[in-house]
Amino acid sequence: MADDVKPTRKELMQIEERIELSERGHDTLEQKRDGLIMEFMDILDEAKDVRSDLDDKYEEAQRAINMARALDGDVAVRGAAAALKEHPEITTESKSVMGVYIPQIDSTKVRKNLDQRGYGVLGTSARIDEAADAYEELVDQIILAAEVETAMKKMIEEIETTNRRVNALEFKLLPELRENKEYIEQKLEEQEREEIFRMKKVKDKKEAEEDAEAAAKEEEDEEVVPADD
Amino acid sequence: MSQEVAVVGSPDFTTGFRLAGVRKFANVTEDEQLDAAVREMLDDEEVGILVMHDDDLDALSRTTRSDVETSVEPVLVTLGGEGGSDALREQIKRAIGIDLMDED
Repeated sequence: MADDVKPTRKELMQIEERIELSERGHDTLEQKRDGLIMEFMDILDEAKDVRSDLDDKYEEAQRAINMARALDGDVAVRGAAAALKEHPEITTESKSVMGVYIPQIDSTKVRKNLDQRGYGVLGTSARIDEAADAYEELVDQIILAAEVETAMKKMIEEIETTNRRVNALEFKLLPELRENKEYIEQKLEEQEREEIFRMKKVKDKKEAEEDAEAAAKEEEDEEVVPADD
Repeated sequence: MSQEVAVVGSPDFTTGFRLAGVRKFANVTEDEQLDAAVREMLDDEEVGILVMHDDDLDALSRTTRSDVETSVEPVLVTLGGEGGSDALREQIKRAIGIDLMDED
């Protein structure tokens, strides 16, 4: 329990207000967490699809380039690879899902025509073109995967933070506040009882005094009466 | 701002990507050089996506590996292997409480 709790009515009211606010915040955060988890499930399903596509495309691309290497030679493939002029570029925009900014990646210049590639058509074979094609497709898929994977990372981070906040409220702040509230209530009740007891004592004393006074007066009266004779 | 795709790995791995026009690449033949190459890509602001082979991740030092796995910009995409980074899987387990990547 916090040491600086003063057992006053004002403090009690303040703590009650804080409890109410914390409970409301706790409920809201819990809803946010549930919403995030639902969204995350969707993205996870998507990520799994993208992943398996990615693996397929990678295998395909590898097969294509191995073919080109085997038939045209490593040097020819590397030579063609070094001649590329256009480079794929990506631009990132973000959209907000439940307050989490997840990226949307747009790509340009990934797919290229034969004449855009920059290596000569005459010096290279169709197999190199096929390999380049396959790898362009792979890069497209990689960009898609990157988008989904970033979204997943960001979502899971946000879920973790929200979770931590929910737990902090539920298991630390709220119990502490409730304990303080109970402490103040008990202290106030005790003060009340003390007050009643004190009043009773005062009343008893007063009555005793009055009784004593009355008795004294009676005695005085009694003393006066025989004097009449 | 426009960014680029970068590839780090063995020459065999990177050649194909260069064929698709990827300009930023690092040919690494020794596992020891991998760390420095990945660090360089992480620090490069023009790199938006980093592509690596899953097996190469094991050759990274612990800190570099966790840095690259949790990095959002650039984001890491691994090819080959089982897919799905261990770090992310651990994080999902911690945050949600269930191992969601387990099904497949």
